[in-house]
Parts: sequence; C-alpha cells; structure tokens
Amino acid sequence: MNYNPITALLIFFGISLLLFFVFRPKKGIYSLLKNMYHQEDKMIIEDILKFLYHNQTSNKHITTNHLTSTLEFSNDIIVESLKTMLANELISLEKDSYKLTTAGSEYALQIIRAHRLWEKYLSEKTGFHKEEWHERAEKKEHELSQSEIDKLSNLLGHPKFDPHGDPIPTKKGKMVSSKGIPLSSLKEGDIGKIIHIEDKPDIIYKQILAENIYLYSTVRVIENNPKRIVFHSEGEQFILAPIVAGNITISLLEKDEIQEENIARLSSLKFEETAMIVGLSKECRGESRRRLLDLGFVKGAIVAIDLLNPLGDPKAYLIKGTSIALRKDQASKILINRN
Amino acid sequence: MNTKNIDDIIALSEELRWEIGDDFHDNLSESIYADASRIVEDAVTKDNKKSKFRLDARIDKIVTSRIWGFPIMLFILGAVLWLTIIGANYPSSMLASLLLDNIHPILKDFGTNLGFPWWLNGFLFDGVYLAVAWVIAVMLPPMAIFFPLFTLFEDFGYLPRVAFNMDNLFKRSGAHGKQALTMSMGFGCNAAGVVATRIIDSPRERLIAIITNNFSLCNGRWPTQILLATIFIGAVVPESYSSLASLSAVIGIAILGIFFMFFFSWALSKTVLKGEVSTFNLELPPYRPPVFWKTIYTSLIDRTLIVLWRAIVFAAPAGAVIWLISNVFIGDQSVASWLIDSFDDFGFLLGLNGVILLAYIVAIPANEIVIPTILMLTVMVTGISGGVGDGVMFELDSVTATADILRAGGWTLLTAINVMLFSLLHNPCSTTIYTIYKETNSLKWTVVATLLPVFAGFIITFLVAQLWRIFI
Amino acid sequence: MKNKPQSACETCAHFNADGLKKLGVKTGDFDFVVALAGNPNTGKSTVFNALTGLRQHTGNWPGKTVTRAEGAFEYNNEKFKLVDLPGTYSLLSTSEDEEVARDFILFGKPTVTVIVVDASRLERNLNLVLQILEITNNAVLCLNLIDEAERNNIKIDTRILAKDLGIPVVPTSARFQRGIPELIQTISELANGKIKCKPRKIKNIPKNIESSIQKLSKTIEKEYPNISNSRWIAFRLLEGDAQIIEALKTGKIASNEY
Repeated sequence: MNYNPITALLIFFGISLLLFFVFRPKKGIYSLLKNMYHQEDKMIIEDILKFLYHNQTSNKHITTNHLTSTLEFSNDIIVESLKTMLANELISLEKDSYKLTTAGSEYALQIIRAHRLWEKYLSEKTGFHKEEWHERAEKKEHELSQSEIDKLSNLLGHPKFDPHGDPIPTKKGKMVSSKGIPLSSLKEGDIGKIIHIEDKPDIIYKQILAENIYLYSTVRVIENNPKRIVFHSEGEQFILAPIVAGNITISLLEKDEIQEENIARLSSLKFEETAMIVGLSKECRGESRRRLLDLGFVKGAIVAIDLLNPLGDPKAYLIKGTSIALRKDQASKILINRN
Repeated sequence: MNTKNIDDIIALSEELRWEIGDDFHDNLSESIYADASRIVEDAVTKDNKKSKFRLDARIDKIVTSRIWGFPIMLFILGAVLWLTIIGANYPSSMLASLLLDNIHPILKDFGTNLGFPWWLNGFLFDGVYLAVAWVIAVMLPPMAIFFPLFTLFEDFGYLPRVAFNMDNLFKRSGAHGKQALTMSMGFGCNAAGVVATRIIDSPRERLIAIITNNFSLCNGRWPTQILLATIFIGAVVPESYSSLASLSAVIGIAILGIFFMFFFSWALSKTVLKGEVSTFNLELPPYRPPVFWKTIYTSLIDRTLIVLWRAIVFAAPAGAVIWLISNVFIGDQSVASWLIDSFDDFGFLLGLNGVILLAYIVAIPANEIVIPTILMLTVMVTGISGGVGDGVMFELDSVTATADILRAGGWTLLTAINVMLFSLLHNPCSTTIYTIYKETNSLKWTVVATLLPVFAGFIITFLVAQLWRIFI
Repeated sequence: MKNKPQSACETCAHFNADGLKKLGVKTGDFDFVVALAGNPNTGKSTVFNALTGLRQHTGNWPGKTVTRAEGAFEYNNEKFKLVDLPGTYSLLSTSEDEEVARDFILFGKPTVTVIVVDASRLERNLNLVLQILEITNNAVLCLNLIDEAERNNIKIDTRILAKDLGIPVVPTSARFQRGIPELIQTISELANGKIKCKPRKIKNIPKNIESSIQKLSKTIEKEYPNISNSRWIAFRLLEGDAQIIEALKTGKIASNEY
C-alpha cells in the first residue's frame, strides 16, 4: 500500500464530487433518473390537459408547436400522447389547434383540484416554505388517486381557495369564480384587497415573497407610472415594478366597504405604545395560527411591547397579562389598530 | 349504536364545515376569549395605583439589555461549568479511590476466597464492576453539581430569558431559541439535554435540537479533553504557558462543538427537516424564588439519578464486553488485538489508530471509560509494563505516566488533536441514543442522530490528518 | 391582612384534618379519579405535590410535564387517585401534550377535574377553563398563586366568579399550603355529589356557527342520549378532528373505559 496524504485527499474530493453530482437536488443524476422514470404517459397527458385548460379562457389557438415548445417533454412523446388523447376524446382537433372536450375539461379540473388541494395541504399541515408549494404540487397532482383527493379535501375541511387565492374546484368540478384586476392597472387613490398572488413565473413570485406582501390585505395605490407602482398596505409602503405588480390580483373595494384605514402590523408597534388587535393575516396558517390564537392574540385584545431584545428580534409582547415573545415574521402577520 | 346514524352525523358535520368556511377556529377562539374577558370584568378588580414598582420588570430590563444581557449569560454559564468541573474533581477522586482502589481488590479477594474460577472473577469484577464503578465515579459528582445549579436557574425563571436573548442567533440556523438551553444542558449530559428538548413545542425545531445535542461536549468527555490537552498541547508551548494553552484548547473544542451545532442545525432545517411543521412561541413567565432545598432534592432524583441509573445499566454490559474481547482468544491472538489490527489502517487514515477506534466502539455505552479502555488496550498491544491485567481498565494518578503509555502506543500531537476532535464528533453514548429513540419514537431520526456526528468526525479527522501530514 | 389566619378553614367544621392521608404514589385501589389540568406556569405541579405529598419536579417553565403523573390521597376513608395532566394553553390544537390532556378528560372520565389557574392572569387562563367546562361537568377552579395576585393588588370576588362559571372556586397558594384543606374538602364534596355544578357554556359564538353547532349536537344526542358534552364534540367535528371522528365510530366517546 502506497500511502500518500495528497493522493488520499484527492481520492476523498473525487468521491465527494461524484456524490454531489449524483445526489444534487433537481439536477443530480439520481433525481434526473427518478424523473425519467416518472415521465409516464399519464403525467404528459395531464400536463397537456392543464395547459389547454389554462389557455382556454384566452382563446389562443394551441397547436402542436405550442405544446412541444412549452412542455418539457420530448416531441415524440408529446405527439404520441396527443394521438392517444384524440382517440380517447379528451381533446378535439379544429384545423391545427387543439380544444378540450367536455370530458377533457372535467379531467383537467380534477388535476387542478388535486394541485390546489395539495398546495393547501402543504401550507396548513407542513413546514415547507411557500416557494416550494407549487413545485411539489406539480409532482403530487399526478400521483393522487380520486379517493385520496377526497380524503385530502375532507381533512382540510373542504377549502374553497388555495393559499395563493386561486379557487379550488369541487369534486363535481364547480369553482368559485373570483373577479379581479391586476394591481398594475389600479389608478392612484384606488383601494382594493389582494385576492390572488400568482406563483408563476418563479422569479417574480420570489420577488413578491421577499417584499412580504400578504394575501387578503388591503392596498391603497399612491403612485402608478410605467416605472413603478407605490402602494400602502397594513401601515407599510411597498414599491414594485409594474411587471411584478401585474402578478398580484386585486378586487376593488367600494368606499363603504373600506373598514379600517389605520390598520398596521404588530411588527411596526413601538416601545411604550399600545394597540388593539384587529385580527390575524390570512398568511398566518396552520399550527402557527392556532398557537397565536391560543396564546390570546385574538380580535379585541390589547397589546404592548414588554421587552426589547439585545439582538433586535424577537420582541416580547404583553398580552392578557403575560409576556410572550414573537419573532418579527410572526408579528408582521398580526394586524393592529393604534389608537 | 347504529353505524348508519354515525355516518350521518359525520356527513352532516362535513356539510356544515363547508358552509362555515375556514374561520371556525378563529371564531371559536375569539368567542372564548370574549367570554373570558367578560367574566374577568365581573369578578376582578385591579388597583393600578399601588403597583408602581415591578421587580420583575427591573430584572428583565437588566438581563435582556444590550449591554448586560450577554455578559450576564456567559458569566452564569461559565460559572456553572467551572463549578461543575472544578467542584467535581475532589468527590470524583474520592469516589474513584473508594470504588476502584479499595472496594475492587476486596471484591476480587472475596471472589477468590469463594473459589470463583479466574474467568468468572475477571468477568464480574474486572469487567462489569469496574465499568460501572468508573461511570459512577466520573459521572455522579459533576451531574450532582450541574443539574441542581441548572434547575435553580430554571425554577427562578431566568432560562426563558436566555432563550429570548439567544433566539435571533438560533433562528438564523433554523432553530429555536430554547435550543440554547438544551444545548447548555448537553454540556452536563446529552441524554438530559435530549429530554430537555420537550420544552420546544415546535416539531421541526425540537428534532433539530435533539439531533444536534451531541455536539455539546458532555461531562463524560470533558476529562478526556482536559487530560489530552494537558499532556500533548501543554507540552508544545513554554512551560509557563502550558496550562493556559491546554485550557484554551479545551475551550476551543467546546466552541467548535457549538459551531458544528449551528452548522448542522442549519443544514438539517434546509434539507431533511424542511417539511416538518415549525412554529414559535416563548412565554416569559414571572420570576419566582425557587424553593432551594426542594429544588436540590428533586433535581437529584429527577435528573441525576435517573440518568446515572441508565448509564450504569448500559455500562455493565460494556465492561463485560471489554473484558471478554481481551480474554477470549482466536488462535494465539485475543479478539481485541485481532480487532485492533483490522482497524489500524482505517485508524491511520484518520490520524488515529486501531486501539482508539476499538475503544470508541466498546465505550459506546459511556464516554467515561474511553481513556481507561485506551490505556488498557495500549498496554496490552505494546506489551509495556503498567497495566493491571488483560481486560482490566485502569487510569494512572500521574499525568506523566499516562503520557508515557500513550507515547509508547505511538501517539503524536496529531493523534491527540484528532482524538480530541473525535471525542467531540462521534456517535452519542448508548444512553443518549436510547433516550433519543424514546423521545422521537422514530428509528429514522435515531439513526440520523447517531450517524451524523460519526461521519462528521470521520471527515474532519481525515482532513486534519492529511493536511497535517502534508504541511507539518 | 396580618391578622388573617393562614387558612381560614383549618379550624372550621367542614375540613377533617385527621381524615387526610397523603398516599404518594400508592395508587392501587381508589374510589375516585381526580384530574389536575391547567395552563403552564400556574403552579399546577405544586398543587399536585401539596395534595399527594409527592415531590414531583416543577420548573418555572412551560411544557415540563409531558406525560401524566399519578399520585393519591385519602380523605375521610375515601381514596382519590390524582392525575396531573400536561400544562396546556388550550385543548383545541393538535400538539402532543394537548392530546394527552384532552384524551384524559374526555375518555378517562375523571370524577372531578381540578382546574388550576394563575390568579394574576385569570383572563388568559379562563380560555382553558371554559374549554374544559364544555367537556366535563364536575370541576373545581383552583385559584392558585393568590398571594402573588394580592401582592399585585388584584382582588378577585370568588363568589361572583363561582356564580359566573357555575363551579366552586377555591383560592389557594399551594407553595405555602394555603387553601389546600378547602380544596380537598371541595373535591370530596363534588365527588360525593354534595355540590352540584352547572358549568358555563361558551357564549358569544357567531350566529351562523352557533346554529350549526346546535344542529350537530342535537344529532349527536339522538345517537348517544347519555352524552353530556355533545356540544364540545360538535366543535371538534367542525374542526375535522380525526381522533374524535374515530371515537364516535367506535363508540368510545360514550363508553366509560379508558
């Protein structure tokens, strides 16, 4: 045995590198192989159905070219699948563009139901970060059977909306329709409520997440020009590029619907101020939400800062006679009214 | 009971759930609190004028202040550890001389007089008894000092403030501020630290705290660190600085452990544990003067004795195994020396040797017996004088004599450093592994918690060994 | 305050000091089961120790007791088994300690439930109290840490509180053994049916929800006529509590076995 520390190190790094390339998330050989294996016909058919469904409303003509260029499958497989779908009457061909048949759009709705229910499940019952919900649901939607979907819906209490504010179709394919306009089209002085935050494309969604903009919060537009949109929400000011604002859907509020203007986030409370809790933001979900309610962060409770932290976060809040420490991201999901 | 009716009830409840929507829990909580505040209005009167001075608030201002918060915390932790390590020395050596030097020979004579065959005498008294006695002598005094002190601060209400102060640091690695406490508890005993994670009520953060608790250098490992640092690190510097150098080396290892704890907390929260539910809440209860003697009594019963008992239960078979492997022969070689030979190459790659690896395997039940086992095995392999007999663990009163044996076993500065590192980064003792299994109820997490530090230890010692050989 | 005796009832006719034996962990045969519930940090374990003579460790820190601890005492020749439940803020969530506490009150069918509250933080503690009163009828409110409340100049009218809640209220300071005899006396009277409770049910629930709850609880009562907490079961069903649905299916919800 010829031992040499340098050789030993090189072998070690060689092995590490190899393991990295095999097991690296998403692009690793292992997960690529796993994905290849999962690229079954069912998944491709369902993705085509979904694609057609989402483009149905915009009246675009979807041709084979559209499909092969957007979906990440090999062209042969897509063409093959389209043939199967035509034979099964899930889609029909008019000239060169594909249309969903009734059976096809029912099927598509069930896939969307599975997707949105799974996103709801991830948001309520697990600790996965918001960023991951969509991608995980994209995979899971093909794996859930009809009875599993029903069980899931039951477990979640038959929710009407997914965590992005999209309606969840019922078992029979009914869906609450929500009318809204993009935030980018609001005029200065308009007031509305965020009803949907689009989770695609990834880059824009991540920007919205980074800004801490929350679903169902009220917004008031201060400035809107081609360069930027400035708006107030829950006591804070946000500045977005129009392209980002376009992915946030707003439902305009009439003047008499506007309840409280000086709603702020608990995170903005200053030392020696007191405020009354108005409620919890919808962004506070699952177990965290229950905990906060149990601890007394309910509508009407009076709250003040009890202790500041040497490192700035968390702060201890005095609520119903007890000092409870909350982190900033929690406090920002509790809405208060200063008076 | 009619199944159909029951199904109807459930069907009705599902229908009603759909109608009510998802605000039910909110509404119910709000109603209950609204009721509560109405009742309080009726029955409670508070005289605000009189309560101007709140001692609680004063103490809180100081212990969470920007200037004093951290110094107070470090001072208290340092004082507790110092009291534990220094204070345990004397009772430890007393127990050792009682159990090892006095009772052990008596027991052996007793066995001989009763006409026990040599192997039974050896197995029972050199193997089982000695391991148990060792664990008691090394473990009991520090725990009997550490736990009551810790419990006093806990009962007083100071510990939640530590969690409050430290939370921001822990949050960055995806952990809970209360982990600062389970980590500190781990400095006393990892098994107790794992039990203490019950105070973390968020599933993800609790698992993180359990899995990374082993990176806190526990009582059973401090003596190893101190001994090796004194012998090898103290020797590299001029004599007047030697105790300072060895002290800094030991503290350095403990701080390295904290660094690994943060690193692996972060890594776990970003990978395998990211799907676990995560919540945060931390109540800062009012300060209450602890009932001194009762606290001492209950912490001894609750923590010290329970942990000690478990350690003894595990140490006894370990003693048996140690004695057996050195006294059972395959051909003309004992099992121990055969194992040492087969571990030697791998050990060399890690800058260790076969003796050390074998010692760490048989000493899984208790870190306390690592050094006695290493000494015994080294003497056995090298054939130098100094030992008491095959399979009989021993420790020497003089540090120089210990150093001589280790040097004769081929130890260098690199070996010492790597043993110190490996002592920090290896699997938890079996008491802790068992406790982790009981607390998590999951084989998966128990395996992760067991293997993660060993692999970290292999990688770190390997890297250190290669770099050392290349550059020094 | 100076002239007030440590315990007003030590000398009065009701409490029979000779009839009390603290039995520690000897929980062999018993006549009654008593559950001890309460928020974290209310001195619940101190009350437990004061009643049983045990020395269970208590920390000034939420979430210490995760598993149930058991002890016993004998009073007037009747043996009481005392079960210390984990301290929780609520019984509505799904954490492990809440499940242990809830399951015991619901399925363990304790004869009496002692609810320990911190007198200085009554409002917060009432959240749990009101939830427990939905589950069980026989309960006593142990207004603990009353000395601390007095120091903070908080005065509690126990008669009004008892009337509002519909259960007896006993002020105690378990650390100094204050009020423990009265608590034992009350537990004994409750267990023997000498005091009848009429616990308060949660009010102020929004109308649409209240009507759903009533509809559901009536259907439950039809199937299980002897059940007293149908309203609470309705709450749980509306939250989709899988465990309660299961208990309903197996009939465990109405049985007396645990």
